[in-house]
Amino acid sequence: MPGTATCKSITTRCLVGGCGLFYASAVFAVLYWFIYPSWPVGDTWIKGFGTVNYAVTDKASGKEEEREYRWNTRALLLEDLGDATNDPQRKEMLAKVQAASYDQIVKDPKMMEFVRSVGKGLFGDNCAACHGRGGQGVVGMYPNLTDDDWLWGGGMDQIHETLVQGRRGFMPAFGAVLKPDQLDDVAEYVLTLSGETQPSAASERGQAIFQGQVGGCYYCHGADAKGLQSQGAANLTDKIWAIADVPAQKSVQDKKAAIKNFVAKGVNNTRIMPAWKDRLSPTDIKLIAVYVHQLGGAQ
Amino acid sequence: MAQSSALPVEQYNYDIVRKFTIVAMVFAVLGMSVGVFIASELAWPFLNFDIPALTFGRLRPVHTTLVIFGFGGSALFATSYYVVQRTSQARLAFPWLAEFTFWGWTGGVALGALTYMMGFTQGREYAEFEWPLDIAITLVWVSYFAIYVETLRRRSQPHIYVANWFYLAFILAVALLHIFNNLAVPVSLTKSYSLFSGVQDAMTQWWYGHNAVGFFLTAAFLGMMYYFVPKQAGRPVYSYRLSIIHFWALIFLYMWAGGHHLHWTSLPDWVSTLSATFSILLLMPSWGGMINGIMTLSGAWDKLRSDPIMLFLITSLSFYGMSTFEGPLMSLKSVNALSHYTDWTIGHVHSGALGWVALVSFGAFYHLIPRLWGAKLFSQTLVYVHFWLATIGIVLYITSMWVAGIGQGLMLRSFDDYGNLAYTFIETVEFMHTPYIWRALGGAFFVAGVLVMVYNMVMTLRAARREQAAIEAKLAAKMAKA
Repeated sequence: MPGTATCKSITTRCLVGGCGLFYASAVFAVLYWFIYPSWPVGDTWIKGFGTVNYAVTDKASGKEEEREYRWNTRALLLEDLGDATNDPQRKEMLAKVQAASYDQIVKDPKMMEFVRSVGKGLFGDNCAACHGRGGQGVVGMYPNLTDDDWLWGGGMDQIHETLVQGRRGFMPAFGAVLKPDQLDDVAEYVLTLSGETQPSAASERGQAIFQGQVGGCYYCHGADAKGLQSQGAANLTDKIWAIADVPAQKSVQDKKAAIKNFVAKGVNNTRIMPAWKDRLSPTDIKLIAVYVHQLGGAQ
Repeated sequence: MAQSSALPVEQYNYDIVRKFTIVAMVFAVLGMSVGVFIASELAWPFLNFDIPALTFGRLRPVHTTLVIFGFGGSALFATSYYVVQRTSQARLAFPWLAEFTFWGWTGGVALGALTYMMGFTQGREYAEFEWPLDIAITLVWVSYFAIYVETLRRRSQPHIYVANWFYLAFILAVALLHIFNNLAVPVSLTKSYSLFSGVQDAMTQWWYGHNAVGFFLTAAFLGMMYYFVPKQAGRPVYSYRLSIIHFWALIFLYMWAGGHHLHWTSLPDWVSTLSATFSILLLMPSWGGMINGIMTLSGAWDKLRSDPIMLFLITSLSFYGMSTFEGPLMSLKSVNALSHYTDWTIGHVHSGALGWVALVSFGAFYHLIPRLWGAKLFSQTLVYVHFWLATIGIVLYITSMWVAGIGQGLMLRSFDDYGNLAYTFIETVEFMHTPYIWRALGGAFFVAGVLVMVYNMVMTLRAARREQAAIEAKLAAKMAKA
């Protein structure tokens, strides 16, 4: 019967194909044993024919020379690391950046291209967890590094200092010092500073507190309310807000409440930038400083 | 009593099969819903609501335990107790012990899930139970073994059908794996330290982990397949000889392959090479089951057009074939360098777990339910609905995980002109957000299918009960007349 014949031929083909594949996988396995380290023999194992080359520094002569090793995971890692760090272009650019001053780096487009390439990874691995991948920060928690409003200064030296020694933001809690209606008045005044609202009787009362001995806000924020970078005191006259999320509030009432809440609570042990001098090499810090500087808010 | 005279004593112990079938479905709904929830947490992290018990780390073992041991385990208990009785033509041995395996297993899994949410875990993948639960599970498992062997001994058939070989291998191997992997020094009721340390500890864990896949999720479900596919197709197994050959090949080769979970770690290179090659050698023994199952239908392919249960069974075999091809591929050192620690692995596991394990179980359930409760299935159409929901869900799941996993793997190994990494880790996380949404959606499709099945089952059971009542009323009327 023709039906049976087809069935049989399918069966035969299946068996032949199946057996064939099994033998093929066996051949593959044996070849694999020859390439990579495999079967244990006594207290060692068959090393395999695969080899890995990487450069080592000879202890006696101090010279770097390439050596061949039998395939193993550790050698492969060293080879990869060697390839990465020995990239001639990378080596050359790194030496140039190390020797140059901040001014020289910023003025050299070639060096800046390199800084952006390395800096992206360094920033992404070390800074992005808080400041975000693009350095945009989180209002109320982590400063935005892309605007030109800097709490601690946006000059190259200031960024360098921030990275090396870290920063600790502080503002006293005024909830215990000022009465609720006084806090309202201060908030009203702060809003007028950046033109969010027009001066009023309340804002005038707030001004008196801000500029007088009752509140004493001017000690840090300055009589012109433009802030003081040596203290990390914010400029209150621009429309950029680092902590109280004013732009997100729709009504004036809510904007006021956001400022009032913050002034009452203050900042203590909540805004800390870690010191990186023991965690990153001077070169890495230099690269990150330039990278942050070019993010958009350079000064 | 009227009731007992109306119903003859069942030839086989179906009561225990019914219990495990129902509890398997309950665990399926629970475990898979938790899966969808944690998949959503990965896409939208706020969903953990800052409640420790709901965080991904706590719920992930809840998901795997409820699905593998709760759903998969109960499905295996149900089908193996059914198959061993039918193919041996003997009633299940030690009924009271079988009852104990039901309550012990169900209770153990449920308690385990609760303790994970409270934060108690051994930190061993698929073996997170702390030591008191491990001991309880061991007792259940030894009972299972005793019941199974004794029932086989009491068989009134000269031959032990191949499905039983697979089930028995699974029971034996899981006992071995469970006991050795969980050897630990208890320091309190909720804390213990593994007897092994360092790379030996890791190797023991993955010897266990991979063979949990090999014996729990492969061999045992092949046993299920070898009974239900020929039964549903109404044809004998395509090649009985092949079933025996690939059984022994599978059993022998699987035990060696676990090391491929530890490529590129401190595991000695030679162990890693051997495990990769044994994984490659496993390809054809695994496919033996697929070929045998699918070819059983040869000459009756038209059944795929008319029988949705057959659709479940054959599709499950196709996914089985696909994931047992993907597995050896991923076990090669060079492929693994790309795939390891990415979502490709998660996708691979789910193409096996959803595509193979769950679909073959659903097929078996649809075959079993009418026979266990003596009623026609409530709706054939809903079986089709379930099938398509499940299939779409699986395809969404695995393709999104291919994109996420291979994409992340490629991003992490690309360099720019200066030899610097082209992408930061966080960029790979951002990249995976969209596939994560698709994955959660795929999971939701799959759970929706399970809910359809549960509805279908509940309606079937209700009809069965109504019919039963009608028969009893008729009988009572007759008795009254007489």
